[in-house]
Amino acid sequence: MNFKIALLSGLVPEGRVFGLDQQTLISIGIQLLNVCILAAALGFILYKPVQEFLRRRTDKISSQLKEAQEKMDQAEKLKAEYEKKLQEIDSERIKILESARLAAAERSRHIIEEARWEATEIRRRAHENIIAERERLKEETRLHIIEIASLLAGKFIEHAIDREAQDRLFDEAMAQLEETAWLN
Amino acid sequence: MSVLPGGDILLDFRVDNLWVLQIGGVEIWITRTIFNTWIIMLVLIVLALFLRFKLRRFEEIPRGLQNAMEAVVEIFDGFLRNSGGEKLMPLGKWFFAVFAFIFVSNISGVVGLRPPTADWATTFALALATFILIQVMGIKYRKTGYVKSFFEPLFIFFPLNLIGELARPVSLSFRLFGNILAGTILMALVYQLAPIIFQFGIPAVLHAYFDLFMGALQTYIFCVLSIMFIKGATE
Repeated sequence: MNFKIALLSGLVPEGRVFGLDQQTLISIGIQLLNVCILAAALGFILYKPVQEFLRRRTDKISSQLKEAQEKMDQAEKLKAEYEKKLQEIDSERIKILESARLAAAERSRHIIEEARWEATEIRRRAHENIIAERERLKEETRLHIIEIASLLAGKFIEHAIDREAQDRLFDEAMAQLEETAWLN
Repeated sequence: MSVLPGGDILLDFRVDNLWVLQIGGVEIWITRTIFNTWIIMLVLIVLALFLRFKLRRFEEIPRGLQNAMEAVVEIFDGFLRNSGGEKLMPLGKWFFAVFAFIFVSNISGVVGLRPPTADWATTFALALATFILIQVMGIKYRKTGYVKSFFEPLFIFFPLNLIGELARPVSLSFRLFGNILAGTILMALVYQLAPIIFQFGIPAVLHAYFDLFMGALQTYIFCVLSIMFIKGATE
């Protein structure tokens, strides 16, 4: 192939502002090739990597948003379930409380009845004890009185009356005592 | 600028030829436009490599450069998605490169380069690429419907439709070429003809308008029109 480069000014044609000939067509072809090369280079070096990165980031953000939405939906579902369960628990709690309240009321009524019965019983027994104690005290008092009276009577008789009168009074008293004891 | 023997000043706006290659008997002129295009390509590729190096590991929470790069990519993708839906999305890389190339070319006058877009060969190459994309996308998404559209509303309208279709790359290329060449010529006039007193400050304002503002505007117009044409072909 014949390849030659002319550098001498005498061999290089003069320039021009505008022309429509074979050299213009060649220049157009070279310039078209130049722009294509430039587009390929800039696209490969800069535009495509940035575009690719932006696309990946958009995809990532989209997937994150989608994931977040799914989680939100899931959370909403769980929340609804929990709320439903809480409502169920609440109604169950009310039921349990109601039954506990009824049981407690029944138990309370039962305890009160028992307490009343026991109180009545205690009172009855106390009353009986009081009566028995009173009887006992009455008996003791009577015996004391008798003893004191006997003692006083003995002393009086010892000083005031003779032996005969004493015997007669003793017999009368014994007779009266026997009569009283028999009547009681 | 050259001074002719009579003392007249020759303003040179031509695209110089730097080398001539002969490959298989075919003469190929390596013009200043092609050379400057290579410089711009090199700058853009080195810049892309630098950015890629700085962004070796993308962070989940972007900061600084990563924020800027993400914003750029999202702007292109978002614009294409909003314009033509998912159908146009694969063209993001192409329009990113075209936008970067045209913009840097348009503003290259600021650093003294002759903008490659001030050469019709460059703008027509870009417009031709758009034209090819229009046809490819039209046939891909509309199949025979796209071919039929050349015969609508009646068969006799085919020549008009065909001319209208062929006019698109021509109008696209000449719009960009004319605007940038006009800026280049005006700046050359200012630098070569204006008195030295006007060489301070004023060129900066003119550069800001013709190179930066018009450069950015024409870049946007070229890309938006290309996208609209392609979108029209797919619907």
